[in-house]
Amino acid sequence: MRFAFTDDQLAFRDAVRDLLDRECPPAVVRDAWTNDTGRSGAAWAHLADMGVLGALASEAHGGLGLTLVDLVLVLEETGYAALPEPIVEHAAVTVPILEDSTAAAAGRVTVTAALDGSGLAPWADTAELIVLPGETGAAVLARADVALDRRESVDGARRLFAVHPRAGPQAVRPALGAFERGALGAAAQLLGLNERMLDLTVAYVAERRQFGVPVGSFQAVKHHLADARLGLEFARPLVYRAAWSLTHGDPDAAVHVSMAKAQASDAARLTGRQALQCHGAIGYSFEYDLHLYLKRAWALAATWGDARWHRAQIGQTLGLPSGSA
Amino acid sequence: MNIAVCVKQIPDPAVPGELDPESHTLHRVGKLILDESDSFGVEMALQLADKAGGGDVTLISMAPNNEVSGLRTALAMGAAKAVLVSDPALAGSDALSTAKVLAQAITRAGDVDLVLTATESTDGYTGTVPNQIAQLLGWPSLTFAKHVEVEDGKLTIRRQTEAGYDVVESSLPAVVSVTAGVVEPRYPSFKGIMAAKNKPVDQCTVADLGLSSDDVGWSGARQEITNVAAAPAREAGEKVEDDGSAHERIVAFLEALKVI
Repeated sequence: MRFAFTDDQLAFRDAVRDLLDRECPPAVVRDAWTNDTGRSGAAWAHLADMGVLGALASEAHGGLGLTLVDLVLVLEETGYAALPEPIVEHAAVTVPILEDSTAAAAGRVTVTAALDGSGLAPWADTAELIVLPGETGAAVLARADVALDRRESVDGARRLFAVHPRAGPQAVRPALGAFERGALGAAAQLLGLNERMLDLTVAYVAERRQFGVPVGSFQAVKHHLADARLGLEFARPLVYRAAWSLTHGDPDAAVHVSMAKAQASDAARLTGRQALQCHGAIGYSFEYDLHLYLKRAWALAATWGDARWHRAQIGQTLGLPSGSA
Repeated sequence: MNIAVCVKQIPDPAVPGELDPESHTLHRVGKLILDESDSFGVEMALQLADKAGGGDVTLISMAPNNEVSGLRTALAMGAAKAVLVSDPALAGSDALSTAKVLAQAITRAGDVDLVLTATESTDGYTGTVPNQIAQLLGWPSLTFAKHVEVEDGKLTIRRQTEAGYDVVESSLPAVVSVTAGVVEPRYPSFKGIMAAKNKPVDQCTVADLGLSSDDVGWSGARQEITNVAAAPAREAGEKVEDDGSAHERIVAFLEALKVI
């Protein structure tokens, strides 16, 4: 087994990085805190044209028939940009569930989901379809057939809604590992957010001077950032492994996903704390960009199972008594 | 309509560039990327070919070490094929040598109705290559196009000027340099990226083009970089303490600059 990304997979990542660099700079994320939709505007349509939204759909349904291994680096980039869009819910979680994903693959309809156990669906007020847990699988509902109740989120650019289905038609579809794909997608985005916070902080401590030298030259600051880098690089292979396991139907895939999500969540939270510490007071200001990424990291660390929940899952498979995680 | 687009593969401008201490020329090691200023020509060519109802867009490039990573980006956007000239003898080529190589490569591509280039490259920026190619091919040269149209075999461009634009017409074939902003380059799609690696890249050497290695590279260069110096550091501005007459000093300063 050659466990390295192919040239195509790296080219997909580079193309999406370039797209988001232009279409989703910090100003777009900041705008999503207060604009009408809470979303990015142009970036979503460009991602649809590029083929990202339908990457996992079959070619017969307007997709590319790609796998989570193809998509994982792309999702990481959407984390790096803190893309204010339900891309994990749409491209990773629900496109493989839908009976006909043609419209979703083309970006004509946006799909979100409340499948992470919280009962909340992000960006549900602008999604055409909302997928909820049903008794026998996943229930696909049109937005007109649900009542939405806005909930507070720490991340203002990731609007959350409690979803209450009204009586109406429900297409029930097999859930097909939706939760694992969601947890993997969030873990991948957390890697990207982690990288972004490190980049911002390294740039800041190289520029900010105190006692006549850049504060990044102080050993205590270096240690903080080295710890953050270490956590990120330990989480990264777990996320890639989990993507491979889900793609290839590894019987331990769920455990691998739990390892990935637990480690990626902890690593991003650690980096967030170090980033805030190294920035000093400016890191707390709303006008500075760090919080856009820090709050997304906090929000995603708590979704699709937090680190403690996933560690408990791993513990169970090892036969450890519950509560020991 | 067949269109050739000259594209340069350059070191990533985001990475600080380095000059070779011996030759004073730009270090071109490692991965090269498509010069962003060339992506406008590629997009323009794709749109023109599409509007003409057919024809191929062929990339023309000269790069060390058979480098194709930048070409792949343009092939992923939709170009059909590429001619890549790569030869150790090309190291040290000046602008005219580069133009000779590109003109020969265009001839090799064959059956070209229109050549598009950027106005200048992002790493070398002599801005002379498009005109030189046109001269060598014996074709009309049209420059700084911010709008390009081909209708009934006639080429019309809007040539960017300081005041606005000139409308310039020409017969085909012709060489046109396009400005950034002539069109908005598309993002390559995943399908395009997957298809790009199977598109033909005609890799050839100086000899394949019928040129002598004495005419290109260091031996053929008619220019020599004798010295390179760092740009002088910006000097501190003048500080004026306001004693009630600061506005007069500011007016005098702006007058000296002929701003007012």
